[in-house]
Amino acid sequence: MSNGNVILKVENLKKSYNNKVVLDGVTLQVEKGITKVILGPSGVGKSTLLKCINLLTTPDSGKIWLEGIELTDPDVDINKMRQRIGFVFQEFNLFNHLTVLKNVMIGPVKVKKIPEEEAYKIAAKALERVHISKELWNKYPAQISGGEKQRVAIARALAMQPSIILYDEPTSALDPSLVGEVLQVIKELSDAGMTSLIVTHELHFALEVANELLFMYGGKIVEQGPPEELISNPKHEIVKKYFASIYTRGR
Amino acid sequence: MLGFAIGVPFAILRVYGGRLSRFLVDIYVWVYRSIPLIVLLFLYYWGIFPIIFGVKLSAMATSILALGTRDGAYQSMIFRAALESIDPGQMLAARSLGMGKWEAVRRIILPQALRIAIPGWTNQYAIMLKDSSICFALGVLEILTRTRYVTISIGSYFIPYLVAGLLFIALTYGGTKVFNIIYEKVQIPGLIGGK
Repeated sequence: MSNGNVILKVENLKKSYNNKVVLDGVTLQVEKGITKVILGPSGVGKSTLLKCINLLTTPDSGKIWLEGIELTDPDVDINKMRQRIGFVFQEFNLFNHLTVLKNVMIGPVKVKKIPEEEAYKIAAKALERVHISKELWNKYPAQISGGEKQRVAIARALAMQPSIILYDEPTSALDPSLVGEVLQVIKELSDAGMTSLIVTHELHFALEVANELLFMYGGKIVEQGPPEELISNPKHEIVKKYFASIYTRGR
Repeated sequence: MLGFAIGVPFAILRVYGGRLSRFLVDIYVWVYRSIPLIVLLFLYYWGIFPIIFGVKLSAMATSILALGTRDGAYQSMIFRAALESIDPGQMLAARSLGMGKWEAVRRIILPQALRIAIPGWTNQYAIMLKDSSICFALGVLEILTRTRYVTISIGSYFIPYLVAGLLFIALTYGGTKVFNIIYEKVQIPGLIGGK
């Protein structure tokens, strides 16, 4: 993959909480139009990694570049850079006092200062892409289902027209019956060329959507490669065990 | 009003400010919650303003300042509770869109916290209204002072104080009613548990 195509590059990222090492030198990159999925057991720092990438959590050391601009440079306006990084949270985090439409419009209007009518068009298009029908646009977050909330949250990220979207376990807080609709939307966006970095425990989905899988353990990426390769021929013992345990659980 | 003007910014500083502003707000609240209102009134009237600032304030102005500054301490804690009840995820989501910290407070946190704080403020209004009767001690022409004039001129206590009590009931009722109407008006589905 040529360097000119690299959207996100992370180099030797480290983070500790109270002497407990969470990220122990993570290096990765995501190229334009590519979807990468981070797998690994719970508590190995996957979510911390994503939150460090847009500096919602400050890493202790290491460097991050978005489209060639170093985010970890103290002189960089991080608020400006965050506009280009979509973030989808496990708990949706929709703004509870705003309607569905306003949730999606607030970024373009207030942050990017796009005129109201144009922002409306952008928001409408984003909502269509996540299949949120017009009847729901004037509802408040508390009035829609979890799957709908997460799709609105994806639309909110999309409306900023980001260079990449980071998904932090986007279906973990959902009722099993609602997982499918959200994964479907993420897959459609990814297929349409949205550069994505996804943390998930949905192995089948990961295999379907990912161009490359990254396996994280002990604060590091221990193995990476195309899904078929990683799953059919894992080199690390821990990766073998993980896949074995998931298959014996029947998923 | 003064209490509101002090309480809201202080609460924001307490929750979202740095260590120094948190410390200063805590001191302010500690002091104003500790001093009985009547002591505060006398302190303002005969001490702080004439001696330290060199200005002689009217009894009315002193009363407003004393009630307001003290009310600010209580209101800041009411509003702090409202701010802290808001899921930190709201702030994270706002920041992830590229909003600065204070912009996120203004656009995302405040509109939710202000709504949540209304019942607490209603309560505080009712308390304040009746605390104002202590300003009687400085001779401010509030309800109690006027009542006393009446008792002196007609030589009877029961009826005038009964009227004063009824007047307080009416004012409390009217004021809390207004707060409750506002509370209902600005309600957003699901913002506050199950409503």
